[in-house]
Amino acid sequence: MSVLVWFAIILFILMVVIGGQKGARSFIALFFNFVILIISILFMADPNIDPIIVTLIATTILSCVNLFYINEINIKTKTAFISTMATIIALLLFIIFMTESAMIQGFSEEQIEEIKGFSVYLGVDFVKIAASVIIMSTIGAITDVAISISSPMREIYRHNPDLSRRSLYQSGVSIGKDILGTSTNTLFFAFFGGYMALLIWFMDLNYSFGEIVNSKIFSAEMVTILAAGIGVALVIPITSWVTAYVLIKSGVKEEVEE
Amino acid sequence: MRKNSVKQFMTKKRIALYILTFLLIISSFWFVNHNHEFYERSIAEIVEVETVQSEEVTDPHGNEDQLVTQRLEGVIQNGEDQGAVIQLDNEYAASQAYDHEYSVGHELFVSVDSTNESEQLTGSILDVKRDHYTLMIAWVFIIILLLVGQRQGFYSVVSLAINAVIIAFALDFYIQTANISLLIISGVSIVLFTVISLLLVNGNNEKTYAAIAATLLGTLFLFAVTSFVMWGTAGEGLRYEEMQFVTRAPEMVFMAGVLIGALGAIMDVAITMSSSLFNLYEKNSNISNKALRKSGMDIGKDIMGTMTNILFFVYISGSIPMIILYLKNSAALGFTLNMNLTLELARALAGGIGIVVTIPIGVYLTIFFINRKRARV
Repeated sequence: MSVLVWFAIILFILMVVIGGQKGARSFIALFFNFVILIISILFMADPNIDPIIVTLIATTILSCVNLFYINEINIKTKTAFISTMATIIALLLFIIFMTESAMIQGFSEEQIEEIKGFSVYLGVDFVKIAASVIIMSTIGAITDVAISISSPMREIYRHNPDLSRRSLYQSGVSIGKDILGTSTNTLFFAFFGGYMALLIWFMDLNYSFGEIVNSKIFSAEMVTILAAGIGVALVIPITSWVTAYVLIKSGVKEEVEE
Repeated sequence: MRKNSVKQFMTKKRIALYILTFLLIISSFWFVNHNHEFYERSIAEIVEVETVQSEEVTDPHGNEDQLVTQRLEGVIQNGEDQGAVIQLDNEYAASQAYDHEYSVGHELFVSVDSTNESEQLTGSILDVKRDHYTLMIAWVFIIILLLVGQRQGFYSVVSLAINAVIIAFALDFYIQTANISLLIISGVSIVLFTVISLLLVNGNNEKTYAAIAATLLGTLFLFAVTSFVMWGTAGEGLRYEEMQFVTRAPEMVFMAGVLIGALGAIMDVAITMSSSLFNLYEKNSNISNKALRKSGMDIGKDIMGTMTNILFFVYISGSIPMIILYLKNSAALGFTLNMNLTLELARALAGGIGIVVTIPIGVYLTIFFINRKRARV
């Protein structure tokens, strides 16, 4: 059996043993994510469809799976969903601007060996694809931070129903501050694990500092890491605000229901 | 009275910090806009663009694109030819998969053909000067982190910077000393990363010690599982030949990438477990080990899915352009995925194993540290 099958079996067993039913759901969600991602790539490859629209639809479905399927549909996951989408739209505008101006789309001259023999006149807008790639790589981290803030805020509000919207917002931001460091760290190492081969390559081929900093592939990776970090930071005040607003609005009604 | 003066001191310090940051931003931008002299390659700023030709092309796979030829005029910014006007030709496709559309104001690295001295200079385009964009997004990142996280934001930026420096040193050391295995260097770096990041983000206390121990054990377990599987299957199904930018033994580079890539997520899980369990203990110091274990496992269940997703999306998304290239060149879907995704999927799944296994490790280690504290009290 191949390495992939083994890894998948080990991960599945661990998730079920440690996480029970929820662990099994997390594993199935991973599989759904994979399928959704592949389907959206197929749509992106169609020159008549705008990749940005595909990305927006894909991220909507993906965050639904990761929030509503793994957890349940409730006020915590709903506010986390709204905040994730708001953050992604804000981030998207900035990322489109960055990819267009820094010209980091498509393939770099370091990859010329690999794309040799392929036609690159594909009619697909690679600038927009580059923006989509950045958004797609941050969606996991953004939903993670959103749910990590909205869920304890709900608990705080349940224990202190007299809190004002302002102090509820502030408690959300203070939870966010505590997870900001570890979340940026998670992203940083995740990206770095993928880029290690590239950095060794740069050093082995004696690239000068100036060449590295200005190369397309290095700039693209820096922009991706930093844009992901910006997303993780931005989602903190957005989630705190949305959750505080929704909790105060619906607070009374829900008390009655319970 | 005294409180007031402390407050005043704090605001003064804060204002000084703001001014310092502002000056740093201004001076760094001034530098990247005036650093042309530091580059050996000639840099030309585009002052005139003329579209010479534009034609429809259809490639052998039926993809339609627009091929455009531009004639550019640029002014050389550095070196012997500074101030001279250079003429450049550029061809790009509207999809810009490999080429670029240039416009007035862009700065390009160029090579100058030293032929006709009296006439206008000609040359070819090497690359785009991108340093100011990287700088710009770095500042946006730092400012947003400081605005949102304030003190914690500052510590996060510092810890990221320190980690980046450690990485640079470790890789440099690896390149210099060819005999030491990449895995040993990664192992030492992993210990350094873990200790420094967790101490910086979380402070010098028992919570941090528990998290450090859990991170290192979790990573060790991941290493054991990964090497066992790779050894048992002899790496079957992993397309090392499709690994990009490989100058060294690909198995080693892959393995080190798996461990370091999962490290951040493992640290995240470890610190979440230890701080929430210590929190419960501090609120009620009589809480039983069994209750602690149950709460810890419940928290773990909540985070395992989203944490695994983070790694999944980071790894898989990067392959999107290459997959599109394959598909548009009439490659079959199965072949395309097999060629482009096996390594990324393996990385994501292995990282998930590290994340999930750190949950019980974190719970038991934290309970051990809590009991040690109990015995002392």
